[in-house]
Amino acid sequence: MPETVLEVHDLTTHFSTPEGVVKAVDGVSFSLEAGETLGIVGESGSGKSVTALSVMRLVPRPGKIVKGEVRLKNRELTSVTEAEMEEIRGVSIAMIFQDPMTSLNPVFRVGWQVAEPLFVHQNKDRPSAFVEAEKMLGKVGIPHPKERSRDFPHQFSGGMRQRAMIAMGLTTMPSVLIADEPTTALDVTIQAQILDLLRNVNREFGTATILITHNLGVVAGMCKRVIVMYAGRIVESGPTVDVFAHPKHPYTWALLKSIPRLDADERQPLRPIEGIPPDLIDLPSGCAFHPRCAFKIERCRKDTPSLIRVGDTQMAACWVTQSGTELKDA
Amino acid sequence: MISPLPIEIERPQPVPVPARAARSYWQEAWGRLRQNTIGMIAGGVLVFFVLVAIFAPQLAALITHQDYRTIDLTNPFAAPLSPRHILGTDDLGRDELTRLIWGARVSMGIGFLAVAVSLFIGGTVGLVAGFYGGLIDGLLMRFVDVVLAVPAIFLFILMAILFKPNTITLALIIASVGWGSIARLVRGEVLSVRSRDFMVATAALGARDVRLIFRHLFPNVLHVMIVFGSLYLGQVVLIEAALDFLGLGITPPTPSWGNMLTNAETFFFHSRSLATFPGITIFLTVLAANLFGNAVRDAFDPRLR
Repeated sequence: MPETVLEVHDLTTHFSTPEGVVKAVDGVSFSLEAGETLGIVGESGSGKSVTALSVMRLVPRPGKIVKGEVRLKNRELTSVTEAEMEEIRGVSIAMIFQDPMTSLNPVFRVGWQVAEPLFVHQNKDRPSAFVEAEKMLGKVGIPHPKERSRDFPHQFSGGMRQRAMIAMGLTTMPSVLIADEPTTALDVTIQAQILDLLRNVNREFGTATILITHNLGVVAGMCKRVIVMYAGRIVESGPTVDVFAHPKHPYTWALLKSIPRLDADERQPLRPIEGIPPDLIDLPSGCAFHPRCAFKIERCRKDTPSLIRVGDTQMAACWVTQSGTELKDA
Repeated sequence: MISPLPIEIERPQPVPVPARAARSYWQEAWGRLRQNTIGMIAGGVLVFFVLVAIFAPQLAALITHQDYRTIDLTNPFAAPLSPRHILGTDDLGRDELTRLIWGARVSMGIGFLAVAVSLFIGGTVGLVAGFYGGLIDGLLMRFVDVVLAVPAIFLFILMAILFKPNTITLALIIASVGWGSIARLVRGEVLSVRSRDFMVATAALGARDVRLIFRHLFPNVLHVMIVFGSLYLGQVVLIEAALDFLGLGITPPTPSWGNMLTNAETFFFHSRSLATFPGITIFLTVLAANLFGNAVRDAFDPRLR
């Protein structure tokens, strides 16, 4: 059995605003095994990114982790000191961000930035850190890495910058890489290249990857396991194949119905999810999805379902499927 | 009859790959500044005055062969271009040019020192306040509000009474007011840079706060400080001259452009040139500082032009 590198238990992150408490992440639990790629999907505001930032302990003000545990190889991250956390960030966990255009500091040369983790964490002398950075830039597919590492970020294209960001995250050989929508800001051909790169990185370095995205196609192509988030909670999780073939939560079901498929009946119109995402300050009672749910029963309005095993391989937080009902077209 | 046009197929020339030099943000700004003729002339004038200030004793020895303290009561109010006195003499027969040269030391010394101190204090306060936000930001910025609310001239008079003004104390007195504005400007810029992804990305690779502030934020707000600094230099020179003129700054026998004007005012009807020359030097310095400051601002932000 593969070793578990990251275990998140009951993670809860709240933002206190003058309007009320925003429950951005509300009791999220999952684990990540060495070398695997885990997908986290959900719409904007479902708490994907805040989950990632909570793991890194980089939640912006006024956000705060109110409870829960984050275990990285049996080290509890929510209680270590900030100084210890600085030694974990960029060494054991690295993170890459959505917008490569703003993720690099415009005043430093790319090579310098890729080498920075080395002189922050390993006290490497400049020349050898730069050599290593050049090598890493070559590995992520930057042509002429020796020359290009002397360039400034504005001389790189979006795809190259994202490659540079990935190189930056990998210089210290972290055991976990969190990619927060790494392809959202790129055009489609570049997206495919970056995803290829992430797949290679995963294979070559054995880095366990958390891939955060709202693109179900990306998840299908990249991840063995997937987590679906809605309103700060996990509503469904399981092997990607099973989740996509037999969704056990009406939200996943509706999400899959709303995207075009090559193998679907082309006369059937796409079905958007009715209604709007909930207000995270004032969540609906019971199951947060019930106002938009086509399968809702009386109980959904009153009680909040917890995430339990439904079927052989999946977990779902839904009263309907937990009672054994299959989700089918009405 | 229309003859067929001779058709020439233009073959595309192989495009040579241009040798690209990686130009940093600073090199780009410097490139734009160099294009600005007025800015470069103004910069040249400033450099000239700085050199005069640095080499004042040598220049005085070489050109005028005089000491600024040499009193020659037999030859007061000599006209400009009189023998041995290129710009004439003052009421005590001291050589005007020698005193102007030494005066550059006061103006430039105080000017650059006050700007440097203002930038150092204001920059640090602005960076820290903008980076941490919240209570720290609130406290620091309210303190800045207080500093900026104190009437400067009142403070200068008080300070001049408490401390005997010399080049260093006077620079510190002026800087004690000047750092407030730069702190505000830097904080504003920090707030905008701080929200960009690379700050989170850098924090995510494990950089400490000190590294984040001084290594990553500071170079991104430095242009604000350079622009402010070059514009503020002109103001400081003017303030310093005003304080000297009022007798609250550098006092005789040390010559400064400001206190030379005090004398000149008294003897205005004996010699107009005594008022003219220090006036011209002050005017030139301030004008050069302002023009250079504008050029620097344009160089850093071409959209403003």
